[in-house]
Amino acid sequence: MKHVLEGSHAVSEAVRLARAKVISAYPITPQTHIVEALSEYCADGSMDARFICVESEHSAMASCIGASSAGVRTFTASSSHGLALMHELLHWAAGARLPIVMAEVNRALGPGWNIWMDQSDSLSQRDTGWIQLYCETGQEVLDTTLQAYRLAETVNLPVMVVLDAFFLSHTYEPVDIPDQASVDKFLPPFEPRIVLDQKNPNAIGQMAPPAYYMEMRHSIQIAMQSVIKHFMDVERAFETVFGRTYGPITPFACEDAEYIFVMAGTSVSTCRHAVKTLRDKGHKVGVLKLKLFRPFPYQSVRKCLAHAKKVIVLDRNCSFGAGGIFAQELRAAMYASDQHPQIYSFISGLGGRDITVEHFFEMFDRTQKAANPENESVWMGLNS
Amino acid sequence: MNQSIQTQSPNNVSLLISQSRTNTLGNKTGTWRFVRPKYQEKTAPCSNACPLGIDVAKVEMFASRKDYQNALKTILLENPFPAICGRVCFHPCESACNRQFLDQSVGIHNIERFLGNWGLSNNQTYLNYPEGNGATIGIIGAGPAGLSVAYFARRLGYHCDIFEKSDNPGGLLVSGIPSYRLPKHIVIEELQRFQHDGIHFKYNQSVSMKQLDDFKHVYDALFLCCGDAQSIALKISGADHAIDGLNLLRQIRTKEAPSLEGKIAVIGGGNTAIDVARSLLRMGARPIIVYRRTRNEMPAHSHEINAALDEGIELKECLSPIAIQKETDLLQVSLQVMKSGEQTKEGRQTYIPDGNLMETMQVKHVVSAIGAEMEMMWRNDQWDLSLSHCRMKKISDMPVFWCGDLTTSEKTVTHALASGKQAVIVLDALTNNNDTEISNICDQCQVGNGPAMSFEIYQQGERKYRTNTKIVHFERINTAYFPTIPAVQVNKLSQDTCLNSFDEVISGFDESQMIQEALRCFNCGICNDCDTCRIFCPEMAIQWDNDKRHILMDYCKGCGICIVECPRDAMNLEVEP
Repeated sequence: MKHVLEGSHAVSEAVRLARAKVISAYPITPQTHIVEALSEYCADGSMDARFICVESEHSAMASCIGASSAGVRTFTASSSHGLALMHELLHWAAGARLPIVMAEVNRALGPGWNIWMDQSDSLSQRDTGWIQLYCETGQEVLDTTLQAYRLAETVNLPVMVVLDAFFLSHTYEPVDIPDQASVDKFLPPFEPRIVLDQKNPNAIGQMAPPAYYMEMRHSIQIAMQSVIKHFMDVERAFETVFGRTYGPITPFACEDAEYIFVMAGTSVSTCRHAVKTLRDKGHKVGVLKLKLFRPFPYQSVRKCLAHAKKVIVLDRNCSFGAGGIFAQELRAAMYASDQHPQIYSFISGLGGRDITVEHFFEMFDRTQKAANPENESVWMGLNS
Repeated sequence: MNQSIQTQSPNNVSLLISQSRTNTLGNKTGTWRFVRPKYQEKTAPCSNACPLGIDVAKVEMFASRKDYQNALKTILLENPFPAICGRVCFHPCESACNRQFLDQSVGIHNIERFLGNWGLSNNQTYLNYPEGNGATIGIIGAGPAGLSVAYFARRLGYHCDIFEKSDNPGGLLVSGIPSYRLPKHIVIEELQRFQHDGIHFKYNQSVSMKQLDDFKHVYDALFLCCGDAQSIALKISGADHAIDGLNLLRQIRTKEAPSLEGKIAVIGGGNTAIDVARSLLRMGARPIIVYRRTRNEMPAHSHEINAALDEGIELKECLSPIAIQKETDLLQVSLQVMKSGEQTKEGRQTYIPDGNLMETMQVKHVVSAIGAEMEMMWRNDQWDLSLSHCRMKKISDMPVFWCGDLTTSEKTVTHALASGKQAVIVLDALTNNNDTEISNICDQCQVGNGPAMSFEIYQQGERKYRTNTKIVHFERINTAYFPTIPAVQVNKLSQDTCLNSFDEVISGFDESQMIQEALRCFNCGICNDCDTCRIFCPEMAIQWDNDKRHILMDYCKGCGICIVECPRDAMNLEVEP
């Protein structure tokens, strides 16, 4: 049944429907609404789970690691500085191969103090071994959170469901909340493959000397590489029950496109409008939405972009000294392709600044006129 | 040696983690230990302050769980009258409550009152009395002290004969305390606890000192519980114009009081003076309390004084009456103005006449309420045994105990009950042990640093396993577990309603208020099964077995986390033996 929901509450609803058993979190804007609602569900009994209040995000992730090791479905949510504080334990959760699910609301890091949309926080965690799924709408947030549990539990890797601060977390949209029976059909009870057994207690995650460590890391990489296949399976199962599917990437008007925009998050919606207008004017333009960022969906991205002349990448982040992170990843992905397109990198919309249709026109205009891409990312929308 | 093991995945996803091949039970972390934790319950400050030594922390624990049966039973182990004490006790427990250092004391007396009422309306009137032990005791006076003697003695199997000079039991519970504080039906209902073959009331029987000797053939021991039955008379000219306050209160209870109206001077500063003044106000008169010192020195309890002043009663301080003269239909009271003098060695402020400064007051009546004393015949200063709440002297080899107001320092219902309990414990100890054992036995039954004694401990109940002399101080409470919550305000009659009747002013807590208040209790020093110790134990060395927690010493490494986390100081860390 459709409800008008805030993006944050789409996450909360999904976690309730997923029957998570332990939720541990520390509040931080713009994530707080997610766990606020969950704490109410735990308190009013509409959710049979323990809500553990902790003194920091570091402890929140530690509690999730403990609970997940004990064999129950767990959840946390964080953002920005909170996520940064979790960093050490994000490595641990992945290394311990625990299927923890987290909602990550993209927010800028200070200083200057800023609570608005920015991708720096989640992208700073790209090497921790977490699967990252970026969302565009409230419905996608709910669906992806449900999918995240099934995916995480299949591959024994933690999943981060990423949504834009305010543009998504605090925006109300009609969202179809599925009934419990359907969700139970899609997401069966968690059957942990790693579990602390009180009757036969073993130490988990202990010392791994040089003779053993490398194989464990290789195992994570192999598991990561299998994620795309498993994600497709999860999506198919999801589609059977709910009739909706997203894919690791979502191309729009890309088949014959000479110019293809690439980005993740809510700005894709704005970009689609720009693409429609440009198409009306006769330009062969498309947009590719990146949903899965870790693992990077090399094959499908290469396939989608193979015929384009120029790719325009929008980054709402900056790896200082290098440039937009998505652009770097795309360059790396396309380099091995025989006929790789030129990649034009733009950085815009940091710290919650609006990205408008006009910005996309400008990016297109500059890209169309340029013979070659500039070496560094071009900053779009700076105050003059 | 640690090994890494591979778990074969059902869906061929690689999964390789480090995991010990051997079971960690082989790692006996208990060998690291040089201190060990121990569950050791202690005494809460409220219990220590309670003249009856009631196990308040446990009562509140049961009450908060809605286990009223056990909550009431816990009170009844130490106190026969929860519904009465929940109304009239001056609750020293609340002044000692550790919670006051966080926010406000727990409303212990209103919780007791709720539980007492619950017992009355659910017929939970008595604990089971045992078979008789063959001994019979005589009790003179059926007031709080005498009833307490009967209650505790009967629980040890003594047959009790109670001699009461009036025609009903209760003493000042029914003849002294006004019904707006203690309705008569509450007393009558609580007295149901005394309906037992082994307790025999003999009414309209005045006993004199001379008769005691004759009792030695009938009784194994005697208990004098006749209270301060005689008002202290004003020793000023015209004193015969004054009405006796205690007698007036009795007449009001029996509805035989003369009709009194207009301005009435109430002389005195104790609880009787307050009771008289508040009663007169309800009868339509205009009482004025006249006291020779200031409000700070009044022996009446402060909340009683406050209640009187709130009701609009005037208090005249530093005035000492020196004469009463009759003038047509009015009385003229001559009053000496007093001023502060030196402080005594004990730090008490003295008051001396302020030269010849005089005041006069024209009133319709004067009521004297300057105190009461025991009848001359009970006076004695040669004792075979002298304790905090009772004295004993052997008369013709029969132990005779002086109890209640005859011996206690504070003349309250609760102290009288405590006195009866102490006397019974001493009698039983004397009967079954050498005289030399008495002080040892009394020490074992002591609650906290005394003088309250626990009947439960005397009867070898669970409570004897506590470190009774150790009192839990606020510093030992882990306040991280207790957010501040203001005390629940008790329901009261409106000012207008209560001034026109003798209806009970305080109506107490309803059930949800009571639970809310009981949940505020820290349960100092006792284990309330919060399970914090078990949850925090990093070695999982605290286990549940047969509904009890125990510590696996093979794995307890003595880190002390359980002791630090225990919210209520129910655990100790001890050096390894």
